[in-house]
Order: sequence, then structure tokens, then C-alpha cells
Amino acid sequence: MKLKTFATAAAVAVVAASGVAAEGYPERPINLIAPFNAGGGTDLLLRGLAPHFSEAIGANAFVSNMAGGSGTVAASALQGQRPDGYQLAYMSVTVSTIQPQIKNVPYGIDSWTPICSIAASPTMLFVSDDSPYQSMDDVIAAVNAAPGELVFGSSGPGAITHLTMVSAFAGLGIIDDMKHLPFQGSGPAIKELTAGNIQFFGDTELLMKRGDFRPLMVFNNERVESFPDVPTATEVGIEAPLNELYLWGGLFAPAGLEPEVTAKLEAACEAAVASDGFQQFAANSGTVINYRGAAEFDAFYRAQYTANATLIEAAGL
Amino acid sequence: MLSALPEAISILLSLEGLLVLTLGTILGIVLGAMPGIGSTVAVAIILPFTLTMSQAPAIILLLAVYAGSVYGGSIAAILINTPGTPQSAATCLDGYPMAQRGEAGLALGWATVASVIGGLVSAVVLIFAAPQLAALALEFGPIETFSLILLGMTCIVSVSTGSVVKGLLAGMIGIFLSTVGGDPILGEMRFTFGNWQLFAGFNLLAVVIGVFALSEVFIRASNQISTVSELVSFNGVVLPRMKMWKGRVRNLAKSVAIGNVIGVLPGTGAATAAFISYAEGRRSSRNGGGFGKGEPDGIVSSEAANNAVTGGALVPTMALGIPGDAITAVMLATLTLHGITPGPKLVEDNPTLIAAIFAGFFIINLLLLPLGMLLSRVAAPILRIREAFMMTAIVILCVVGIYFVRGNPFDLLVMGGAGVVGFLMRRQGFPMAPLVIGMVLGPTLELTLRQGLILTDGSFPAFFTGHPIALVLGLAAVAALLLPLVRSMRKGTVG
Repeated sequence: MKLKTFATAAAVAVVAASGVAAEGYPERPINLIAPFNAGGGTDLLLRGLAPHFSEAIGANAFVSNMAGGSGTVAASALQGQRPDGYQLAYMSVTVSTIQPQIKNVPYGIDSWTPICSIAASPTMLFVSDDSPYQSMDDVIAAVNAAPGELVFGSSGPGAITHLTMVSAFAGLGIIDDMKHLPFQGSGPAIKELTAGNIQFFGDTELLMKRGDFRPLMVFNNERVESFPDVPTATEVGIEAPLNELYLWGGLFAPAGLEPEVTAKLEAACEAAVASDGFQQFAANSGTVINYRGAAEFDAFYRAQYTANATLIEAAGL
Repeated sequence: MLSALPEAISILLSLEGLLVLTLGTILGIVLGAMPGIGSTVAVAIILPFTLTMSQAPAIILLLAVYAGSVYGGSIAAILINTPGTPQSAATCLDGYPMAQRGEAGLALGWATVASVIGGLVSAVVLIFAAPQLAALALEFGPIETFSLILLGMTCIVSVSTGSVVKGLLAGMIGIFLSTVGGDPILGEMRFTFGNWQLFAGFNLLAVVIGVFALSEVFIRASNQISTVSELVSFNGVVLPRMKMWKGRVRNLAKSVAIGNVIGVLPGTGAATAAFISYAEGRRSSRNGGGFGKGEPDGIVSSEAANNAVTGGALVPTMALGIPGDAITAVMLATLTLHGITPGPKLVEDNPTLIAAIFAGFFIINLLLLPLGMLLSRVAAPILRIREAFMMTAIVILCVVGIYFVRGNPFDLLVMGGAGVVGFLMRRQGFPMAPLVIGMVLGPTLELTLRQGLILTDGSFPAFFTGHPIALVLGLAAVAALLLPLVRSMRKGTVG
């Protein structure tokens, strides 16, 4: 009896306390965690967003870095933390949907409360400017003529660049006749593409423009404006779910965040993304803005998680 | 680009330009001198401030901090035997013994002059030969890089003060530590025992600071080794006189060249250059016999090479849009934020900006001399505080610095563990530099070996048959190992 009363009282207290917390939120600074090193793409995007996010939510928002393990160290540390809305991480497609399916990490599909998506860029398959391949048909013919000779690169096993290559060549049924050369980061890989040690690489348009490269196809639902002559993967003959691939990212909180807090964060994120300052930042940095609210992002994230299971199997990871 | 030089110089000589050059260099030296901060962190600390600046000053600020921090690392290495970064670990080997002899000021003088000359030459090379050197970078594929790293590994023998066997053991431990974490080819986890904290492997900086700085503190605290001396006496930098350079110029020139070439090759870096240059200096300098006991040529070898890397690393960054190391990667990201796409057309499309960057880099290296002398004079009284306070301050700096890098408390445990292991190993006479070499070079050695085997379908001999550069470097590695052996056998004393 006494125990029951205590339990009830405790439950009431918890509900009351959390209700109060949601009402007064935010009353402390908010930590935006970049799961990569300072100076990287993710870090810069968050630093570009932070002042506008801070203004919109009415509290200080600061960026901290917790790098390592392709982003899994930060995600592993954040999962299971108290979902109080004061700790958010910017996670990409690989950190949130791919790494947990290939590594034994303590988080999975249900570990998060998605807040909003911020950016998404389709990936492209490209070759060096002096490459003899003008189309994917040329590539298929070359691979069939010399099986086991041609090499594709990636920025690391399980990275979005790797999955782009797997989607392309598994989708066309020629991956078993090709070699995969992983690098550590896209920089060294595009150097070897220029030098000719690898023949193919896949990344976003922003990275492709770093060198004298020629795109052969794009993993988007339609052709991209800047390259109207480059076919989509679907046009080349690659079937779903391998035909579309986006490097996307957004803000996540630990699972179980209160709906009121989620709503406040979502509204602040929308306002920050729409702000002139962030739009200018995105234009300068080549970030392709792709905002989704909490409910829509949640559905998108879960669909991606399932779809990427197919990719991971094809990649043999 | 040279026609844009007058406009570039007017940018540099504006108030903003001068402020950025001076303050950036000062900040770089100070941050570099603090154990555990290091170049990468120093640049990361400054980065947010550059977001509101215009293009040229933003990049020049980062460059000034970069070049300053590489030099600053030598101050802590010489005065308190604590390399601020892995790249000044080789400077400790002769710098600290010199300081213990009471020649701290002169040791810093050698380091300062070597750093300035290394940096200035690399700036000139950058300005006049960037496109040609960038072509060299493209010649170095995975197989060539593997051979270079193999040659670098032979340095372990040169830096093993005392016993070579113990040095090799320490090197093996370093390589083993570097294999913890994700497999670079397959992505699987190795030696993590399911602990996600180890997914990223052991943090290099945490291990370096642990085995050098913390273990030094433990040794002093335990006070059981009679060779522990008092803190060094130091009253500011003493520049070496002209006649002291007699017989040392060739070693300086060679060190600068080594730093420049290695800096150009992506995926290597300042620590690799400093160690290779140190080993080459020990082999070929006429003062090579004194290396490890406080020989100025040892300091010159290490410092001229690691500062020459800064200009070298900018070559592929500016000419190809490919970062030479983690710091130039940050600079490329900064350029992107300012609306400039790095790539092969960077120089062509932004002549004024690039001219300002190159000229600014030259001026920064000139500034190292007066600012370095000034700052070490300011820092001198700090060394006169009581040893207990000094050691406490070092521990605090280490903890703050390491925690700042990745925001991960686990790195502090790694640092503490490395400190204890380093303490025990040093008491048994194990040199620590080989351990650092193993950890720095291990990952690249493994990655490029396995990449090469993918390219040659698993044939190791094919590394050398089809790749002349790799063959030459491979033979040099074999020679570096065998020659000392042959020499000592001729003398009839094997050991």
C-alpha cells in the first residue's frame, strides 16, 4: 500500500516535473554536437546554422565536436542520454542509417527523436576529364572486355561514396568484375582519380567540381539543373532502391523527447534554415538545403534506414 | 599570378593585414608551445573567428597560426622535454639534452633559425614551383607512398637512443596501438572488445602527450632516477653565431629539401618529415655521432624539416585542391565558405588572393624570428617557478588540451594510461620516439600496403617491378638498415 502510494506520487512528480520542463524550455544553452572534427563539412554547416538557431529558439546554442569512428563515437555517446532537448547532434545518412547496420554500435533505428532535416545532395558518379568513358554503356563494355581490371574508389568502407559506387555497379550487375580501393576521405581519392590509379568515384556535385572531372550519371529522381545532359541512374537502367542516393543530414535528439520540446526545436530549425544569413551561407558553401519538419523527417529517416539495408547487403559490408 | 603581387602586398600592408599577420603568428607560437594543443587544434580554435573576415585575411590568419604553432612546438620540446605535437618529438632528442647542459637559449636559437630558414625556403618553392611539385604529388600513388613510409620506418633505428632492440620493440608497440579501431579496407572493428569508445582507435595526440609529457611528470614525481635534473635555466633565445654554422649548412639544406618534398606528398606530414630528416642527419652529418646527446644538427634536422612541410603542404592544396594534411583541409573548407571552389583552377581564377596568401606566408616566416625571440623572453620567467607548480601546470594543460581535441573524456583515460605505460617503459630504458613513429606511420603503412596489394592483385614483388620510384625508395630502406650493420661488422664490433 505504502509502496503503491509512493510509486503513484513518484509518477505524478515525474510527469509534473517534465511538464514544467517543457513549458520553461529552453532555460539553458543548447549543445549542437558535430560528430566530426572541427573544420570539416559537418562542423562548418553547424557553425553556420548555430547563430540563427540560437536567435530562433531564444537561448544560446553552441557547437561542440566529438569526432571518431565515422561519427559513431558521438552518436553512441548521445544515445540513451536524458532526452531534455539540450543535446542535439547533426547526423548524416551514414551515421544514422548505415553505420548502425554494419557496426556493433549501441544505437539503432529507434534511438532517436528526429527534429528536422537540413541538407540533402544527390550523389554523382564521375570520371577524370581525360577518361575514355563518355557514358555508362562505355563503362559496362570496358568492364566486360577486361574483367577485374578497372578500379573504383571510395572515401572509406561504408561511406556514402562507397555506397554510390555499389549502387552503380551492383545495379548494373558488373560489380564482381571490378576492384574497390578505399581511401581515408574524399581528398586522397580524388587525387588518385586525377592520377589515374582509380577510374571511378562518386560524391556530391560540390566535391566533383573540385577537379577536372566528368559526371556520367546522377542518383537523383530527376536530372540536375547544372548538368542537364547527365542521365539519372533510373535512365541508365538501375532499379529501386539503388537508383536514388542522397547525402542528407539533420538534427536528432535522443529518443523520448517530449512533443512540446520537439515542436519548439522544429520551429526554431525551420526559422534558422529560412533565415537570410543561413541561406547566404548555404549559397557560399554549396550546401543544398532540404528542410523537413519532425514528422516528415521521421518517416523519411525510417524509410531510408530500411532501404539502405539492401545497399549494405549489396556492398557486402 | 606575379602580376597580381602589388595589389596583394597592399592587402597585406593594410591595418587588417598587418594585425592578422602579427597576432596570428603570436597566437600560433603560444598555442603550439602548450603541450596537447598542437597545430590542428590551434587552427580549429581560430577558425570561428575567420568566418566574419574577408577572404585573404581569413586564410592568412589560419596560415599564421599554422606556421607559428609548428615553430612553437619546439619551445616546449626543448625547455621541458614535452613536444607540443608529434612533429616536434624529434626536436626533444637533442634539444632537451642541450638545455640540460645549460644551453637552452642556444638550443632555441638553433631551432628558431632552422625553422625560419625552413619556412622561408618552402615559401619561395611554393611561389615558384607549385605546379611542378604538384605533378610530383600525382606520381605518388599508394605503392610509392608505401615505399616512402617503409623508408621512414627505418628511422626507428636512428632515434633509438640506447638499445636498438628496445627501440624496435617500442616501434612495434606503436604500430600495434595504431591498428586498434576500424579496419581501413573492410570497415570491421579490430581489438575494440565491443567497446564503442575504441571504434576511433587510440587518439595519437593523447598517446604522444601521455608517453612524453605525463611520463616526464611521473618520473620527476617518483624522483627515483638519479639522472633527473633540475628545471633548465633559460634567459631567452641566443642566436648561433656565423662561425658556429661551419660544417652545418649542408645538413640544413638537406633537411629543408626533405621537409619540402615530404610536405608536398599528401598523407604524410610534418612528423614523418621531422623523423626522416633526423635519421638522415644522423647518418650523413659530420656531427652525426653526437645525435641524441645534445647535438645542434639534430635540432636543425628536425625543425628545418617540420617547418618546410608547411609550405610543401600548401602545394597540392593550392595547385590541385587536395589537402596536404588535416590543417590544409581546414583551410580548403574555409575557402569554400568564402565562396571559392578549391581545385585546379584556383590560382587561375583568384590571382590576387593566391598572391596575397603566398606573400603573406613568406612574411609570416620572417616574423617568426623577432616574435619567437620576444615570446621566449616573456616565457622565460615561467620556467623559474617551482618544479612542483610547473609539473602541475603541465598536467592541467595536457588535460585541457586533450579534452578539447575531440570532446571525449575517454581520450583522457588513454592519455593517463599512456603516461603510466610510458613511465614504466622509460624506467626500463625504452626510448619513446620509436613508439610515436610507429603510431604515426603505422596506419599509412598498413593502408598503402593493402591498397597496393589490391592494385597488384596480391603480388608484393609487383610493387617494385612496375614502379621505379617505389623501387628506389625500397632499396634506400634496405640500405638504411644494412649499411650501419656492414660498417660495424667491418670494424669488428657487431652491436
